[in-house]
Amino acid sequence: MAASNPSYGPRPWTFYVLALLFTLFVIFLYGPMIAVLVLSFQGPSASLVFPLRDPSLMWFDELFNPRRTGDVVGAFNRSLPLAVIVMFLTVLISVTAGFAFRRRFKGATALFYTAIASLIVPGLVLSIGTLVTFRYLGWSATWYTSGLGAHLSWALPFGLLIMFAVLGRLSPSYEEAAYDLGASKWQTVKEVVVPIVFPGMIAVALFGFTLSYDEFPRSWLTVGSKNTLPLEIWTMTTNVTSPALYALGTVTTIISFLVIALALSSIILIQRKRSRGK
Amino acid sequence: MNAMTTTAAPVSNAHPHQESGEIRLVGVTKQFGSSYAVQNINLTIPHGSYCCLLGPSGCGKTTILRMIAGHETPTSGEIYIGDDMVVGKPPVERGTAMMFQSYALFPHLSILDNVAFYLKMRKVGKDERRRRALEMLTRVQLDHLKDRMPAQLSGGQQQRVALARSLITNPKVLLLDEPLSALDEFLRLKMRGELKSLQDELGITFVHVTHTQPEAIALADMVVVMDTGRIDQADTANVIFNKPTTPYVARFMGGQNVLSGTVESSSGDLIRLKSADGAIFETKIDSAPATGTPLSLSVRRDHVALRRGTSAEEVNSIAGTVEATEYQGSFVKVTIRTANDIFVANVSDRAYFAEQVDTGDKVVASWSTDDVHVLSKVDTDAGGDSHLEGGH
Repeated sequence: MAASNPSYGPRPWTFYVLALLFTLFVIFLYGPMIAVLVLSFQGPSASLVFPLRDPSLMWFDELFNPRRTGDVVGAFNRSLPLAVIVMFLTVLISVTAGFAFRRRFKGATALFYTAIASLIVPGLVLSIGTLVTFRYLGWSATWYTSGLGAHLSWALPFGLLIMFAVLGRLSPSYEEAAYDLGASKWQTVKEVVVPIVFPGMIAVALFGFTLSYDEFPRSWLTVGSKNTLPLEIWTMTTNVTSPALYALGTVTTIISFLVIALALSSIILIQRKRSRGK
Repeated sequence: MNAMTTTAAPVSNAHPHQESGEIRLVGVTKQFGSSYAVQNINLTIPHGSYCCLLGPSGCGKTTILRMIAGHETPTSGEIYIGDDMVVGKPPVERGTAMMFQSYALFPHLSILDNVAFYLKMRKVGKDERRRRALEMLTRVQLDHLKDRMPAQLSGGQQQRVALARSLITNPKVLLLDEPLSALDEFLRLKMRGELKSLQDELGITFVHVTHTQPEAIALADMVVVMDTGRIDQADTANVIFNKPTTPYVARFMGGQNVLSGTVESSSGDLIRLKSADGAIFETKIDSAPATGTPLSLSVRRDHVALRRGTSAEEVNSIAGTVEATEYQGSFVKVTIRTANDIFVANVSDRAYFAEQVDTGDKVVASWSTDDVHVLSKVDTDAGGDSHLEGGH
């Protein structure tokens, strides 16, 4: 009888251990975010800790009409354009460099490692180095010069790595087929290569944007006298002792999520179009 | 080179489909670094023929195809299509179209837009190019799938799309790079037949690269057998199969046994050879070589008779031990180990089951003098190269 009742076996104990581990991981990942989100609706008691009393939107109002907090709107107006510029430059340079590296040229490996090596330089050190160099050259540090350069040193290697992975899978026969069908070099890029690698370009754009938007160490000394958002938040943690801090956290997180959602949905849209037809 | 191009007749592209699709390769060499992919190739493929470039991996057949297509530039030599020297010209000006091994259908475009791609590059209006692409899809019986994406099609359907996309350029020459290798056996035989009838219908030159002997024999008007970077023999399938010129071709095409010996005596057009292990072979030859000359012969596997026995007394026979038998339906492939080589006899199933032999049995294989073919090159590779062995 026992043989006629096949057992597919209970789940091994490792399943429960790993499930627990994963649950803890998720809590640590999203718990703080949720805590900040909830506390940003704190009432006029201005308590920085739980419980939440008399929920209101007053700290969001405080954020956009500052009386006691710093220049959040101004910081945002620097951080967003900086992130967008970094995003565009990262995509442009990674994609073109990716194509250059498809052909083997002398010193390609050395150049690649030179480009990637900046990832291991500590951000704060790079920040100091950039400032010192700019001082020496007699230039003033601003977010759109030294700040931009420092951010690119961070975002570009990631962009390059992603683009290499994407282009490594792009068969050269697509370009040859286009050439065979009478496409010029430019037509091949525009009609064949870019559409095929577009999801990869979105991924690079996403990295470029978020790496710049969140960047603290490389912004620290390079953006000049006017703060970007992460610097402003950090300043607020030392000066401001009101839930406006949480409101700011909520707003920046929402913006990050919007950007990610935008990027992911466009990738999904493209892939759906490809697999299901128009 | 310059003098030639300046004196060449003016090129007319008005009716590319009416121009000759003859392909001529003159002294073509392609070097990659210090190694030669192909060396000093001379080959003429007649207009409107179905030509198969056949050889093992790395023999240079794909390099030749890609040089004809314009995806590779020869290191030296000339390539003519019709009367035009085409080296340095883009594919569309050559009047060639290539079908890639992986088909290389653009994954982001619908089937219809894939086929219409060539017309789009030529700035043909949207309605016009979609209409013509649909006509071409109808021709390959895929018009009902026109809005699908390539990833949604089966291998056979993808291949038809690739064909339609190539043919819409109205080529003089269609170049096919291992077109059937990605398909399963059933579909391969079906598409093989379709390619052949398509070529008959269009009347343009097809150049088809393959490493499969039955495919080449079934399709080609002209088979070009290649060894590492060289052409060993270029002729009709019948001649290649029955009268291989070299031991390499005989072995690669399968179906042949290669035997070697030195000339013992001759009388008229009949000569006698003695092999290294003492067997006597007899064959007819136009001009008898001097006594003592080494010579190689081939005998078709299916022209061999088998009997049990230990010694090959008579002329045109060889003794050995059965190493393996393989049932093939209409015949049985009997592999015999002789003194220093492998000999294969394809025995008809009726003859085989009348007097069955098994692994380990001593047998004598024999054949008639008329079935022996003399190779133009002496075998230097006896006993080896079983990895080159082709079809049955």
